[in-house]
Amino acid sequence: MGGSLSDKSALVIGAGGLGGPAALALAAAGVGRLTLVDEDSVETSNLNRQPLFGEADLGRRKAEAAASRISRIHPGVKVDARDARFAPDSAPALVQGADVVVDASDNFATRFLANDTALSARRPLVHGGVLRYSAQFLTVMPGKTGCLRCLFEAPPAEGTVPTCAQAGVLGALAGFAGALMGAEALRLLAGERGAYAGRLVAFDARSGRTRLVPVRVRAGCPVCSAVVGATQEGA
Amino acid sequence: MALNDAEVGRYARQLILPAWGEEAQERLRGARVRVAGGGPATAPALYYLAAAGMGTIWMDDPDPIAQGDGAGWAFGPDDVGRPRGAASAAFAAAANGLVKADIFRPGSRPTAVLVCGATMDVSRAIAEEARLLQFAHVVADVDGQGGAATTVPVGAPCYACATRPGLGAAPTPEGAAAVGALAALELILLVAEVSQEPRARRIEIFRGTPLTRATARQAGCACNAGALGVSAS
Amino acid sequence: MTGRSPAARIDLRQHACPVTWVKARIAIGRIPEGAILEVLLREGEPRENVPRSAAEDGHRVLRLEPAPEEGAGTWRAWLERGPAVEEGTWP
Repeated sequence: MGGSLSDKSALVIGAGGLGGPAALALAAAGVGRLTLVDEDSVETSNLNRQPLFGEADLGRRKAEAAASRISRIHPGVKVDARDARFAPDSAPALVQGADVVVDASDNFATRFLANDTALSARRPLVHGGVLRYSAQFLTVMPGKTGCLRCLFEAPPAEGTVPTCAQAGVLGALAGFAGALMGAEALRLLAGERGAYAGRLVAFDARSGRTRLVPVRVRAGCPVCSAVVGATQEGA
Repeated sequence: MALNDAEVGRYARQLILPAWGEEAQERLRGARVRVAGGGPATAPALYYLAAAGMGTIWMDDPDPIAQGDGAGWAFGPDDVGRPRGAASAAFAAAANGLVKADIFRPGSRPTAVLVCGATMDVSRAIAEEARLLQFAHVVADVDGQGGAATTVPVGAPCYACATRPGLGAAPTPEGAAAVGALAALELILLVAEVSQEPRARRIEIFRGTPLTRATARQAGCACNAGALGVSAS
Repeated sequence: MTGRSPAARIDLRQHACPVTWVKARIAIGRIPEGAILEVLLREGEPRENVPRSAAEDGHRVLRLEPAPEEGAGTWRAWLERGPAVEEGTWP
């Protein structure tokens, strides 16, 4: 991908604990256009980890508050904030309009939708998540590296993986992860191979240990096999 | 003192973490953290310390805001020239009204220090002072490939022993944010008493990948000479 | 469970997720290991969420039953505080 960062566009799905720091990283580096998608309002329990919002934003729609915060600090970035769910009808246009996709969502339905849409549109996707004391990262290069469905043959069954509402989150860990996701998106926009491409990088904050799990294109993956010209690439 | 309803609502998400009981949150509330150095990781670190509920935060930073300060988190073009310490304290207070954030006054006694020097030399001096005064501290170093967070509990190998020369590449805002959040995380886990071994460690981030190693005393360092050590200088 | 009675009692009916479980967890933390906390819950999400979260946290759910005498839609749970858990290592 050639051209300067100010000609590039990034899509960030979710403006909360991961999306906030990722969006700030992209804006601070000078991305030309930043599209944010979030359907929620700012709540008290968000405030331990969502740097786009402060006390004064309680009750405000996240998309609007995010746009306002980013524009104040980074007036040179064009911010397009969508107060909407990232859903099957809107996803393709949003993804096609971006040079890189950052999946900063907090549920598996959205993650799989982002994954599938990015693969169809052949856009690189940075996926990240935090759960209790651990953070995980995976970058999908369509046609080259494995995707979320290569890693999980099926979405985890309802109720077996705690959602954020049931599991704890430490703000600073989400911040760490979101900033690294933003940095990864910037690497991809610069035409570099991502640090998390083809491998899941998992960090446990208490022990400090990092684990690397290769993620290759899985032979039976329904989404990867539909990407024309897919070539298997080592992790 | 037990947590009140406002605190329970605000800290709900971390109060349900494993090993994080009411006492852990109370330890954060009782902490007084001096944030010193004014380096690029300061604003993101500050946000997370405040958001987590560090009871008192003191900004030790005499400089004015320059273009690009705050890692792109706190200050816009209109803020350039304003005193950075006071503006940072206001940023922390805006993040969490339950936290007392102010500029650091000489003679104040913190219980922990977050060191964010603009250079490693500045950080080394602040860290050494914190070590001699027996304040637990975490140091944030930012460079162009990422950076590192070094955790120094009381009595642990010092920051100087832990550090290698950096790569010298200029810090990036996204790197500063990652290191700042990580340094805040380390200090939060330490103060809440929820961290696991190795507690004294340096976590380096190189091209997005964190690598952790326990710190070790280097022969000849003052931190090696007993509980406080006698500084050679 | 003859002879046992709760060491403490908390009415969580006026709270919403996630505060419901947070308050229950804090209340459990204040009673000794092996002691029982009685919680009153609204039917629906709190009644689903609190006992399950308590079990995941290593506590035993000794009772979970409707308590209409306390009010329409009210459930009662008895949660027995479990032993402090040795944290699992990074898998």
